Amino acid sequence: MTDLRSLAVQSILYQNDVEEIIRAARATSNAATYARENGFLSDWWLMLGDSSPSQLLDAVALDTIRGLVEESGGQFSYEFFDRNRGHGGGHNKLAQGGSTDLLLFLNPDGIVAPDTLAALMQTVRDDVGVADARQLPMEHPKNFLAKTGDTSWASGACAMTQRAAFDLVSGFDTETFFMYCDDVDYSWRLRLHGYRVVFEPGARLFHDKRLTTSADWQPGEAEVYYSAEAAVLLAYKYSRSDLATEILEAFRTSGDEAQWRAANEFANRRRLGTLPTQLDENHDIGAFVAGNYAVHRY
Amino acid sequence: MTSVDQVIPDGDLKNPSALADLFDQLLREPNIDKTFSARLMAARECLTVGSIESEPFLSVLLRTQGRRIEPLKDALLCLAAQSDQDFEVIVIDHDADKTAAAHVRRIVAEQEPTFRDRIRVIEVKGGGRSAPLNAGVAAARGEYLSVFDDDDLIFGHWVEEFHVAAGRASGRMLRAVSATQRVRPEVWPHDELGFRTLSNPHAEYAQSFDFFDHLRVNHSPFMSLAFPRMLFSVLGLAFNDELSVCEDWDLILRGSSLAGVDDIEALTSIYRRWEGGNSSYTDHSINSWRESERRVLGGLNDSALLMPPGSVTRVRELLEVQAEGQNARLQLIHLTHSREWRWTRPLRVLLRMAARGKRLLRRLTRRGTAAGKS
Repeated sequence: MTDLRSLAVQSILYQNDVEEIIRAARATSNAATYARENGFLSDWWLMLGDSSPSQLLDAVALDTIRGLVEESGGQFSYEFFDRNRGHGGGHNKLAQGGSTDLLLFLNPDGIVAPDTLAALMQTVRDDVGVADARQLPMEHPKNFLAKTGDTSWASGACAMTQRAAFDLVSGFDTETFFMYCDDVDYSWRLRLHGYRVVFEPGARLFHDKRLTTSADWQPGEAEVYYSAEAAVLLAYKYSRSDLATEILEAFRTSGDEAQWRAANEFANRRRLGTLPTQLDENHDIGAFVAGNYAVHRY
Repeated sequence: MTSVDQVIPDGDLKNPSALADLFDQLLREPNIDKTFSARLMAARECLTVGSIESEPFLSVLLRTQGRRIEPLKDALLCLAAQSDQDFEVIVIDHDADKTAAAHVRRIVAEQEPTFRDRIRVIEVKGGGRSAPLNAGVAAARGEYLSVFDDDDLIFGHWVEEFHVAAGRASGRMLRAVSATQRVRPEVWPHDELGFRTLSNPHAEYAQSFDFFDHLRVNHSPFMSLAFPRMLFSVLGLAFNDELSVCEDWDLILRGSSLAGVDDIEALTSIYRRWEGGNSSYTDHSINSWRESERRVLGGLNDSALLMPPGSVTRVRELLEVQAEGQNARLQLIHLTHSREWRWTRPLRVLLRMAARGKRLLRRLTRRGTAAGKS
């Protein structure tokens, strides 16, 4: 195979367990070795951006990770941001000035399988702007076409994108989104530019989610707040003011403190005139289905 | 102070296996024969943790026929990502053909080196579903062992939860909560023989282990359990090779009787239910399942069993329910044979006819209304 391409794997740290970060780096380096040996990957970088209040990685941890990456033919960089830039903000910062063919947004504690990078690299080409991996043990329920993998949006937990596509849409919208839905928005803006968004089931990511004994997912407080805030902003941005109004009304009457705060934040932005520019006025791309951003399989 | 108190360490008295608990009870008898006591004590020593050399904590037996490569990759990733890495993996290639066996070995070779170094592949030819398990047990070196088939999923704390529980329940079987999830085979975009997940995980299995409920039907997927290796290496248990299926159920029942079970309040695994494609449900006939069930229960019936604490109450409750059912049946028979019942028969016939007429009238009225609308 002659289609060698370069790749920057980017992860944003925020008070993660250092051992988990090293374990993730070990898995990523192994996957890079596989992709190099199988003719997909040329040069590669592992880039960590640290949004924690204080520097998370000491010299020993940095040396360990650098050793793993260099052994797999890659280069390593670590940047302490000295402030919490959020998910998209951190990725935008790391991507600044880079020149690799591809970028991979990866959760800092996400464990990839040996062939994950290769599988994504095989998929992200031509008109595919971004592709995401299948998450284990809890697979995301968004629907995808069996033969092509086409789907509504790609999850930023493990998503590979073409550098050209990233630059075309100026990366993530950090003015609007902090932690959630920035990946949905990124996917939809790529689709507005004619790119396809694809789910690659043959690429795997272990994302350490855990369920209660009754198989329920209990979101943390930050997840409830930021996903609520993002939900109404996304509806507004994709020209669904009707839906945004509906969501705001539901938040205000829900009795949930996080949702009430999210409604207030939206009102503040409206007052300050900082709401995003509206897109997709014909509703060609944005999918709002029963509180989700795609048709779900279950 | 008896001699027994001096010998048995406190740690082992906390939550020992069922058999060790029985030994301890016997040893506490003040008039126990000294020779018998000494021999029993020696046997009891064999049941303490540390009596067998064991490292690492857990041996994971991963059965595969190499027919489901994509789920096998999932299974290995789940293991690679465990928060507690104190385990070894024994991949048991059972009757895989040449190509499939090569795939399995290639996938293992691709794993990250610190993980790959803890994986061994052994090959088993012939035999039923128990054959690879017994080969895996023979190869295992862990203090505990667990069976994780190549098409199921485990959460990141699967090993960790077993490890924590083993610290408080020396020598007992360990059981965590498991969910089910529906999947069906599907070809993926690059022509891989993949699958599509069809449902959220559903916690349909019992949250805690109940020996009597398990006598009726197995409520514990294999990977929800960890077995102390001493069940095999000291007490000599083995998976029953005469069973074409139900080999897990059989060992769970026999093992839990001897070891007891410690419940873990955490959901740590997902049992995938395949819709279409091959599984043990499609590979074996109903007769085969029935025959295996008959053998499992027959074997238990022929054995002496240790019952878990609380069994007396549980058996009495079951007998009381049975007695209540019998009483109700007797009362019903008595009623239907009474003089009053016979005398009121014409009245019951009339009431039945009236009810039938009412139903007929209602049907006719409905039909009339429907005709009017059209």
